[in-house]
Amino acid sequence: MINLTINDRLVTVESGFTVLEAARQNEIYIPTLCYHPDLTPHGGCRLCNVQVKGARTPLAACTLPVSEGLVVVTDNEEIHAARKSILELLFSNYYQAKPARADDELLKLADEFHIDYKKFQRSEPHFEPDSDPNPVIRVDLNQCILCTRCIRACAEIQGRFVWGLVERGIATHLSAGDGVPLLEARCESCGACAVYCPTGALQDRFADNDLIVDKKVMTTCAYCGVGCNFDLNIHNDEVVRVTSNPDAKVNGLHLCVKGRYGFDYIHHSDRLLKPMVRQYLLADSEKPAKVSSSPWVEIDWDTVYSLIATKMVAIKQGFGSDAIGLLSSAKCTNEENYLMNKFARQVIGTHNIDHCARLCHSSTVAGLATAFGSGAMSNTMQDIYDHARAIFIIGSNITEQHPVFGAKIRQAVLQRKTKLIVADPRRIDITEFATIHLQHRPGTDIPLLNGLMHILIKNGQQNTQFIEDRCLNYDEFAEVVETYTPEIVSQITGVTVELLYQAAEVMAENHPMAVFWAMGITQHTTGVLNVFTLANLQMLLGNMGIPGGGVNPLRGQNNVQGACDQGALPDVFPGYQKVIDPAARSKFEQAWHLGPIEVASEPTMKQMPGLTVTEMISKAGEGVLKALYIMAEDPLMTEPDLNHAKACLQKCEFVILQEIFPTETSEIADIMLPGVTFAEKDGTFTNTERRVQRVRQAISTRGESKPDWVILQEVARAIIELEKRTYIGEFSTWDYHHPAQIMDEIAALTPSYRGVSFARLDAGEQLHWPVKDKYHDGTPILHVKSFSNGKGIFHPTEHIPARELPDHEYPFMLTTGRVLYHWHGGEMTRRTNALLELYPQALIEISPEDSALYGIENDRMIKVASRRGEVTAKAIISERVSQGLIFANFHFPQEQNANLLTISALDPVAKIPEYKICAVKLAVVG
Amino acid sequence: MAILKDFQALQNLYTATREQIQKEPNFAEGAEISAPTEKEVRIVLKNYGRIDPENIENYIGEKGYLALLLCLKKYQPEQVIDVIKNSGLRGRGGAGFPTGRKWELARNSKGSPKYIICNADEGDPGAFMNRKVLEDDPHAVLEGMAIAGYAIGAEHGFIYCRAEYPKAVKMMRKAIEDASQYGLLGKSILGSDFCFKVEVRMGAGAFVCGEETALMASIEGFRGEPRPRPPFPAVSGLWGQPTNINNVETFANVPQIILNGPEWYAAIGTSGSKGTKTFALAGDVNHTGLIEIPFGLTLREIVFEVGGGIKNNKQFKAIQTGGPMGGCLPEQFLDTVVDYENLSAVGSIMGSGGMIVMDEDTCMVDIARFFMDFIQEESCGKCTPCRLGTYQMLQILTNICEGKGEAGDIETLERLSEVTRLNSLCGLGQGAPNPVDSTLRHFRSEYEAHIFEKKCPANICRALIRYEIIENQCTGCMVCARNCPVTAIEGIKKEPHVIDPEICIKCGICQNVCLFKAVDRVS
Repeated sequence: MINLTINDRLVTVESGFTVLEAARQNEIYIPTLCYHPDLTPHGGCRLCNVQVKGARTPLAACTLPVSEGLVVVTDNEEIHAARKSILELLFSNYYQAKPARADDELLKLADEFHIDYKKFQRSEPHFEPDSDPNPVIRVDLNQCILCTRCIRACAEIQGRFVWGLVERGIATHLSAGDGVPLLEARCESCGACAVYCPTGALQDRFADNDLIVDKKVMTTCAYCGVGCNFDLNIHNDEVVRVTSNPDAKVNGLHLCVKGRYGFDYIHHSDRLLKPMVRQYLLADSEKPAKVSSSPWVEIDWDTVYSLIATKMVAIKQGFGSDAIGLLSSAKCTNEENYLMNKFARQVIGTHNIDHCARLCHSSTVAGLATAFGSGAMSNTMQDIYDHARAIFIIGSNITEQHPVFGAKIRQAVLQRKTKLIVADPRRIDITEFATIHLQHRPGTDIPLLNGLMHILIKNGQQNTQFIEDRCLNYDEFAEVVETYTPEIVSQITGVTVELLYQAAEVMAENHPMAVFWAMGITQHTTGVLNVFTLANLQMLLGNMGIPGGGVNPLRGQNNVQGACDQGALPDVFPGYQKVIDPAARSKFEQAWHLGPIEVASEPTMKQMPGLTVTEMISKAGEGVLKALYIMAEDPLMTEPDLNHAKACLQKCEFVILQEIFPTETSEIADIMLPGVTFAEKDGTFTNTERRVQRVRQAISTRGESKPDWVILQEVARAIIELEKRTYIGEFSTWDYHHPAQIMDEIAALTPSYRGVSFARLDAGEQLHWPVKDKYHDGTPILHVKSFSNGKGIFHPTEHIPARELPDHEYPFMLTTGRVLYHWHGGEMTRRTNALLELYPQALIEISPEDSALYGIENDRMIKVASRRGEVTAKAIISERVSQGLIFANFHFPQEQNANLLTISALDPVAKIPEYKICAVKLAVVG
Repeated sequence: MAILKDFQALQNLYTATREQIQKEPNFAEGAEISAPTEKEVRIVLKNYGRIDPENIENYIGEKGYLALLLCLKKYQPEQVIDVIKNSGLRGRGGAGFPTGRKWELARNSKGSPKYIICNADEGDPGAFMNRKVLEDDPHAVLEGMAIAGYAIGAEHGFIYCRAEYPKAVKMMRKAIEDASQYGLLGKSILGSDFCFKVEVRMGAGAFVCGEETALMASIEGFRGEPRPRPPFPAVSGLWGQPTNINNVETFANVPQIILNGPEWYAAIGTSGSKGTKTFALAGDVNHTGLIEIPFGLTLREIVFEVGGGIKNNKQFKAIQTGGPMGGCLPEQFLDTVVDYENLSAVGSIMGSGGMIVMDEDTCMVDIARFFMDFIQEESCGKCTPCRLGTYQMLQILTNICEGKGEAGDIETLERLSEVTRLNSLCGLGQGAPNPVDSTLRHFRSEYEAHIFEKKCPANICRALIRYEIIENQCTGCMVCARNCPVTAIEGIKKEPHVIDPEICIKCGICQNVCLFKAVDRVS
């Protein structure tokens, strides 16, 4: 501790503090402008200059380290006059063209120092007032005071280094890149620069709405699994802006372009505002062969409920409960997913419930649950940032798909000097920060990882103690790895032997190392085996159960973790209580027990797991699955081999789609129920690190739309009433007035959520499950002393080539994924003006070599065809892909959708499709 | 050429080469350095004209690298520091911080690696002391750096040289290459445990990069902006590591001090300022160019003896020392003794050695404006007072020179000067007001004449002067009329001519071409 005197007061602070921090801790006010607690001190504005005994001149408090016996005066007449002069100087090169925003720090200081700034400011603007075409950030350098907070925010938070200063003297000014528009300077439009700007020089274009904001409601973002918190800004019951909030635990003031600017879909004119049914249903006529030929008719809720109940009960009676499938949603809340699970298993009587986790991390859940006993991310983002000495990212385009955490990893490399290894067939953005980039061929993850482990074992760098104490089956595993010599691995993967050795060395020398992965690992026919192999690596190095280590699958959707947790899966009840476990079955049978069905008698709960989403689609095609209830999913955007999927679903007798917009799937739907966005309901999302977070209703529901939990409850009641069943079990009723009650029911039935309640979350508690009881603080790190299933199990894995590889006819390999500006099927982001402007149509990445070979320039329309379909979209020539590889996304519908090409080959265990690899050919259009 | 494997090998090479060195230096006609005048003492410039800077053996023949040898052979690093401390050597970059103490701070600082930086970013307009040393005696700088590296425990040195000095960069690179080949730089120097390598880094023309923290930012690849101190470079410098940074001239002194002993050096100069100082003497004196004088001469001795007095028998008006941030001293300070203490006592600075002499035809407001213009353009823009305070001062000075000065301007200048001096981040901003302060202090009446009488007493400020033909001196030769670019001069042959002030653009050609001194400039 350091003792110093501030304004004749003796204060004691930690060493390493600056004088400004010491003053603030002791509630001594010093005005600042270029200082921000999140950013490296700059010392440029000189507003915080203080007098220091023995110093020749005043010194900036924000950069002056405290030292023993320092004597500081923070304010007196002289200092005040100097500060006033500095402010006047700032205003002398300032021009305010637009009305000030409410939180303008410079103008607040003008008030504080009684400066009539209009008297000092320039007589006319010296820069163009809105000088950058960026659709979300307005640049007005007339108000720039060169505090450089934007430069530091871009560098130290987003890690993008877009902003800089050019010229000297009075001509010094801010510049994006070398004086180019922001987007050309590699700006990712995250808005950090605007957030940290203390004046109106850089601001969010939505900031104009600040003056009319009635209230702000803190909630959780509805895009990726990072789970950022922010404030929805409301005016007249509409969301007019998103602002970040320094109290947000996951993200602080940082957000990504989607989170901050991708909200106007909430008020898009496409919103479903009334229930709709196909006309044939009202006319009581036969379903036409193409249901889309029957027009949509608006209808009231009561009628639609009775229609659904009648239809569902008839199908149940006619074909049995298992003729019905239910697709829950990773976009919906925990409470809604729980209800869908209850609806399937209690009201319908089937385990045919699944959701899009099947298509993203089912292999992770299956793999990790087998190896460790828990399928979730083992560590938290913060502990990894704070403690990891190395980070290994394989198959995750982290800066585009989990942008706020991707930015944090950039900072780990920049600020903590964390070593970063990236294994990815594409030269994705994060490779710029990588110590080593292993650019292996798609589908060769197992040989790559086995090869690395081969070297580690050969060098005796495995953690023998950890393996002996905590793991099983090492010898069998080691025997297989033995055969993956660097030379063989190099041949299979295309990674040089030298690079393999270098990567192994980084892994061996930097403990702990955290592993991250996403779809690049999971969406393969070897998805589960890939996950086993990563589990093997982390056991081998003893990186489990410690801060900075762990196995960390990054969950894609806002609540995909929660949807899995709540039993929206065919094989498990909430909290991964297994369907095949008689005790679990009996527990839920009792809890949800309904009186007997008078009209037909069903046996008790089925003993075997139900159908996965991929299986439901093929069963529909076979005519076995008769009805499908889809909540907030768009399978006809996101399923592989879409032509086939569509053909199958068209055969389904009755499809209910509960959505916020008409989607591609509407085409095959018989009924559309208008759900609501995250802004219109209460509930919880569970983020990728198992952190349960509140979603808060900020505006009322639109039109006649209803929250999904309300709709599910009303549909359930209609069916139960029609079947004249009685409520017997403790949790058999459907009588919820608020999602908090649903969470109480979840807590009662789910050991890992036992201690979760809205009251605790609203009190600000950060709960990572398992939360064992209402006094338990949660479990940020899993597998600490032992694995959830006791010992960790090594699984030997062998290389299996992808199902469809390039050949003479289809010479290119296609891999698919997403881009920064869009979200999955794009239903929300394509209805957001800013995001659509930033990325208006699908682009297909093609290597410079192949583009030269085919004579393709940027923006040229090209046709990519596989054995299953074809896509026509613009080409973008990019060094991100190597020769022979093509990358396409599935954000845009119809002929631009890469899923027309993908193959529905499945991982045998997890049933996840091999989105990441298929063979295609290429042609120039026109 | 063989690598000098041990101390003896260097001794032998010295013995073999010392006879080749010519005893008397050559000073070419019109060179930037002339033969020393009586008052000069040459230590830093001692090898000028005597050795071939591209021939390392020439330097060795002049006892080159024997100082390094002495250090490695006989002295512990602490002893080297003691020698430098006892010599009284102070930093020649301008601030005059005792070099030995600086080295000691860096030596005692925890952290590894440590770095040595040679500041060769000589940016003062008209100053070229460092350039000559780099070009003509590069090994002296390298040897000084190596000794400093040995003293503080650094194995890596950087020479930060402005890109506008291509020959200096070339010479230093050649010297580094040669010294490395001779085993005088690199690993295990002369068979000892000491390793030291040097790289040249080029600046991109920013004056502020002569400021040590901005210089380091520039080496690191960032925009050349100063960083707040503390922490000082000795504790946290280049890449956050302990760093010792000295000027070219400081390093060039080091070998001589080691070879001749601290007592020898301390015997030269004044009580507080030891040794010699190089200056680039410029302006209205008869002998301009590089000089090296012992501390203790007076300004008068420099101007009138070393510099040979004012050109064209004009009157001395002021002398500015220390580069653009120095102060302008009038005649009553000519007997000031030149050393660190005395110059700052009278409101100027030593700086790195710029020295500009001004005669009676100099407008001091215009001079202040000129320097402020330079400083404003070279302000890095990081801190408010320097970026905007200098700009405001420049605006006011420009207005005054243009006859648009107003009552209150002087007070505003004084206020801005104080805010800028006290609140700027680095020496550039803190020193920026010096030209204004010193001219206001010593030549206030000139400001007042500009502002209140709209007159420029030196007849320099174009907006305030006019050209007139003196009727009784004009012979009507018509030369002026023929040469006037705007035909503002009228007159009949052999009759006195007249200048039309409405048309005249005050270019002064008429005055220059008149053979009869009949054109006068009046205010």
